[in-house]
Amino acid sequence: MLNYNQVIKKEKSYQGLQMNEIRPVMKLIVRGKSREFLSAIGKSLNMVLPTKSNTSTQSEKLTALWLSPDEWMIFSNGVVEENTNTYDTEIILNKNICKLNLGAIIDVTDQYVRIILKGDKIFDLFQTGSPFNFNEFRNKIGSVTQTIIAKIDVIIHNQNQNEVNLFVRRSFSEHLFSWMNDSASRL
Amino acid sequence: MFLINCPFCGEREQSEFKAGGEAHIERPKQPTELSDDEWAEFLFMRKNIKGVQFERWNHAHGCRKWFNIARDTSNDQIKAVYKMGEKPPVK
Repeated sequence: MLNYNQVIKKEKSYQGLQMNEIRPVMKLIVRGKSREFLSAIGKSLNMVLPTKSNTSTQSEKLTALWLSPDEWMIFSNGVVEENTNTYDTEIILNKNICKLNLGAIIDVTDQYVRIILKGDKIFDLFQTGSPFNFNEFRNKIGSVTQTIIAKIDVIIHNQNQNEVNLFVRRSFSEHLFSWMNDSASRL
Repeated sequence: MFLINCPFCGEREQSEFKAGGEAHIERPKQPTELSDDEWAEFLFMRKNIKGVQFERWNHAHGCRKWFNIARDTSNDQIKAVYKMGEKPPVK
């Protein structure tokens, strides 16, 4: 991870809602279409990429989110070493995917901020600023969506009961976090 | 405001999408042989009818994929959604 100033410094707690950033987390965008690409990813990472829309798959160390029919985000479940920009997963994928022209791997570790939200008021908070219908989403563990919150593009991953990952671009993260705090204080 | 059924993500609100204008306009095969009027026709002239119109839309804040819809411009009812490269459904 590059030496950025951390924007979200403190965990914030409200009744039924806690928010904080988890860092540093490795994040990769993988793109590809062919069957060979999917099986090469499966063999390299020992996990299957989700092919069904709005879903995710998880292995011991990694989680893969469906973003579009030919695009996925892979992120590390735990935190990684802070003082490096090379990740084993990326090296393996570069070797097995990019070098063989099967697809593309992009490191977006520093581009996205992973905010974790916990509590039973998460979706009440989202509903104050998003056009997305969370009624089905909230009951399906592992579901993923890309939508807008307060006009900001976000990726939302329903990780567990009352536990949601939110990915937002770094340049928008400070504004979104302060917006969410403002909104959460009025729930 | 209306809902659009993205062929990849499912039903989403219109504000997640960007409209991409009229669909099924073919680029001329021999652009160098076109007169100015024919160029203008290709570049600028759109039907803009009242009724069912075929349009391109992009799920800009979702999967970022392009697709076509048949939309009734008088009441925003969406008659059909179909992927790029597919033929428009018969009315």
